[in-house]
Amino acid sequence: MSRCPPGRGLDRRQLLLGAPGLAAAWTLGCAPYPRAPGSFGEGVDLSAISGGIVGASLELGHRLRTGDLPEPSSVREVPLLILGGGIAGLSAGWKLLNSGVGDFELLELEDTVGGNSRWGENEVSRFPWGAHYLPLPTPECTAVHELLAEMDLIVGEHPDGTPIYDPRHLCHAPHERVLLDDGWRDGISARDLMSSTEAAELAAFERQVAIYRSWRGADGRPGFALPAALSSPDPELLELDSLSLRQDLDRRGWRSERLRWYLDYCCRDDYGCSLETTSAWAGWHYFCSRPEEVEYLTWPEGNGRVVQHFEARLGDRVRTGQLITRITPTADGSQAGVAVDVLDAGRETVERLHARHVICALPRFVVPYLIAGYELAGVERFTYSPWVVANLTVRRLPEGVAWDNVIYHSRSLGYVVATHQNLEIARQRSVLTYYLPLTDTDPSAARQSMLERSWEEWASAILADLALAHPDIHSRVDHLDVMLWGHAMIRPVPGFFWSEARRLAAEPFGAIHFAHSDMSGLSLFEEAQYQGVKAAEAVMSELGHAYRSSL
Amino acid sequence: MSASTYSPVDGRSKTLALLVSVFTIATCGLVYELLAGTIASYLLGDSVTQFSIIIGLYLSAMGLGSYLSRYFQRELVVRFIQIEILVGLIGGVSSPVFFFAFAELQAFRLVLFSWVLITGVLVGLEIPLLIRILKERFPLDDLISRVLSLDYVGALAASLLFPLWLVPRVGLMRTSFIFGALNVAVAIWTCHIFYREHRRPSLLVQAYLALGLLVAGIFTSAELASFSERRLYKEPIIFSQSSPYQRVVLTRSDEEVRLYLNGELQFSSLDEYRYHEALVHPGLAAAPSPRRCLVLGGGDGLAVRELLKDDRVESITLVDLDPLVTQSFRDHATLALLNDHALRSPRVTVHNADAFVWLQDQEQPFDFIVVDFPDPLSYSVGKLYTRTFYRRLIRHLAPGGLIAIQSTSPLVSRRSFWCIVETLRSVGLEVTPYHAPVPTFGEWGYTLASREPIQISDRLAPGLRFLAPEVLPSLFAFPADMQPVAVEPNQLNNQILVRYYEQGWRQYTQRHSQRSGP
Repeated sequence: MSRCPPGRGLDRRQLLLGAPGLAAAWTLGCAPYPRAPGSFGEGVDLSAISGGIVGASLELGHRLRTGDLPEPSSVREVPLLILGGGIAGLSAGWKLLNSGVGDFELLELEDTVGGNSRWGENEVSRFPWGAHYLPLPTPECTAVHELLAEMDLIVGEHPDGTPIYDPRHLCHAPHERVLLDDGWRDGISARDLMSSTEAAELAAFERQVAIYRSWRGADGRPGFALPAALSSPDPELLELDSLSLRQDLDRRGWRSERLRWYLDYCCRDDYGCSLETTSAWAGWHYFCSRPEEVEYLTWPEGNGRVVQHFEARLGDRVRTGQLITRITPTADGSQAGVAVDVLDAGRETVERLHARHVICALPRFVVPYLIAGYELAGVERFTYSPWVVANLTVRRLPEGVAWDNVIYHSRSLGYVVATHQNLEIARQRSVLTYYLPLTDTDPSAARQSMLERSWEEWASAILADLALAHPDIHSRVDHLDVMLWGHAMIRPVPGFFWSEARRLAAEPFGAIHFAHSDMSGLSLFEEAQYQGVKAAEAVMSELGHAYRSSL
Repeated sequence: MSASTYSPVDGRSKTLALLVSVFTIATCGLVYELLAGTIASYLLGDSVTQFSIIIGLYLSAMGLGSYLSRYFQRELVVRFIQIEILVGLIGGVSSPVFFFAFAELQAFRLVLFSWVLITGVLVGLEIPLLIRILKERFPLDDLISRVLSLDYVGALAASLLFPLWLVPRVGLMRTSFIFGALNVAVAIWTCHIFYREHRRPSLLVQAYLALGLLVAGIFTSAELASFSERRLYKEPIIFSQSSPYQRVVLTRSDEEVRLYLNGELQFSSLDEYRYHEALVHPGLAAAPSPRRCLVLGGGDGLAVRELLKDDRVESITLVDLDPLVTQSFRDHATLALLNDHALRSPRVTVHNADAFVWLQDQEQPFDFIVVDFPDPLSYSVGKLYTRTFYRRLIRHLAPGGLIAIQSTSPLVSRRSFWCIVETLRSVGLEVTPYHAPVPTFGEWGYTLASREPIQISDRLAPGLRFLAPEVLPSLFAFPADMQPVAVEPNQLNNQILVRYYEQGWRQYTQRHSQRSGP
């Protein structure tokens, strides 16, 4: 890894003195997840730190493959079923309910809903397990705007009609900082990072962003829109999807290390992909689908706040701990329907639910295993990046923390501070949420190796990585939980966004409508909500139920 | 004098040892006295009084010691060595004991005077005992002249060393440990010389233990920490403690007491009345009926002291984050004197809470609110100057009520001053900015805010030293160099005030250092 010059912040003497963690930080700094066994976070003292690997009901999910399942013991009629309680499924339920359709159930495998927006809580703070902020919606994100207004987050209107958001929930200053060779620096954007000698390249990059941002295709639609489905299929932009962002940078002759770092960081952050594996189209979409100065809404529990709103709205329509074992389209007289077999994890019984309509908001990679007779050509093109997310309870915050704290010489994304939005002035205990996307070119190998690691190995590697920024980090941490996300994000690799497979995935199958951000090719809140609302509206159209479109 | 026990070589080294002892004893004795006097002046102020009392007490204790020496009859050398060890220990730890007692105990004077008394008695014992030991070796007239002259020379050495080198370079803590160790070293030397006549291994062990303790004292980290801290502050530190929230340091030089929080000056006792009168009284006079008052920040009780001067004030609620500050300024004699024991007034209720959270949890309305937070030099404090904070504050303002807010310096950081004013205006308040000269801070700014238009009144509370009806109008006139500038209101998501403040002070100190540079 050429990006890791020797000895950043560490000299040989420190290394020889062998403070716990430092040596490990040295060996792991560039790759906190080395493949060679034995070198994984050695020498970090974990004796004073509690914690474990939490989340993901792998065992329950595993029973699908082993086939160790009882026969259905009861049958029940439900007019409408939503399968999957991530943002797409929850949004579908939200849209139905807001349109006066209340007779449905939502089934979720895990014991809490939220998907990538799940959250946790301990005696110090709430904290996110995944998505931790929501950019203020662009005018096209009408459904997001509707949701935020319903959550009382819009407190007024500027004279030009744009909404005023509740300042308590807009990300407070200071927003971001990055640890470079010469210390912490405010801001992580290309402009913050690049030096004066790179001014020409920075200007060229910014000029290109401005051009793409205002791009309109022959159909009048923006080149890069959010939701992405509203983007114009302009051949000139489509061509970008055949390249990786790295190839595009090479082609443009942009060589600045800092610019490449920044773009790579953004790809890792939003897509779990590297510069090499992100399609140039998706890469540009990141920068050009939103305005220049975008603000974020954030809460201690991240987007868990939105999940709680959905939960409160949907009430007991939500059923958790439900493993869907089989989805079978049925023909009941003249009307098509769907039989859904559901294993209740608590009761060990399988129930068969007969539904007129189903919104399948499950990740697309599991769908072919579940739906009898459904085939999706090119399903193998749906690939997912694994993520490691850790929540560290610290008894003392590091000095000068911003909301988002990034370490330049690390493959992790750094950490965010859960208590950042707290209004109390002096708060020392906090929870740091650490994000590490595994951006390897072969995600399934990375996933396998990720799942084989023990808590001790992950905790050591994470502390060693954070020790690059805070050499005393292990003495600040009381508790460290790790969540291993096997399929955290759909990967917008070259060719995927404009692929036939992705287009076909959106087609309903009988009475089954699909909804998931996988179908957008971008694992974003806006996309998940868009897909969920769209499926809900499609079902209502089939039902002949009048509704006002949120899209 | 018996010739049989007296060999010339051996005798000469013993005599030399005892005479060196006299010199060291004299130096150490005076150093302990000077330490006690200096520390008492640092901590209590009024150096003439403190030095007079300490010297008087110390000399009389020495007299008492000399008198008591008659009761020592046997094994004089052993007694002398024991006293040396004891003096070394007690004198050696005197500085840390005084500082600790001042910070931790109510009865500081009791500890101080007892300590001085004990040290004095022990030092008073030394010379008479020594003369009696030496009188076997010298004719009395010769002995008296030698011992007394060495005693005075030792005192001279101490009195010169102390102000010129020890206090400025070595520091009070370390000086006390060093001279304690010297005292014990004399004891050890004496022990070795008289070892054949007085075989007391246990005495040697005691002496070495004492020496070890004092030498450790010289190098302790606590001493080094406060040593470096003392360099940070120009004036001697009389109180320094850390709470979970901040480091509280109080310094005194002559009659001036200064409070620092995290190294930032909060007030100087010389002119804090100007700051606090200007903070409280213009608003208090303008408030139609200031029965229920709220003070946010200001755990030093100085703003509360000003409010108590107005008989219309029936109750004062003080909300300060740090119990260390409010407790110290209520219970500590020196600190409570600064606020006239305001925090013990039956009209005052103290809450140790975060202002933001406290305001959220309360519904009580107030007629007059004083906001006295530290300057917005960090993002965490900056939150207390945002629109969100002021919106929350307004909910506690009774109809016709007024808010007075410390608003940083309009001269040094003009944009941050007007930013606070603008932020208050942007949440729909009527504002009246004003300023007052506070020598240790410079030109300082405040803002009055209310839902209704503010009518300035010159019916000031009695007992003011700075504000008067004829002075009041000058507070509201802004000269050209402090006139409003274009600024944005301060919000949680931009915290623009923290940036204005930082830029303002950086530019000011740059300009200042250029002007005073070589």
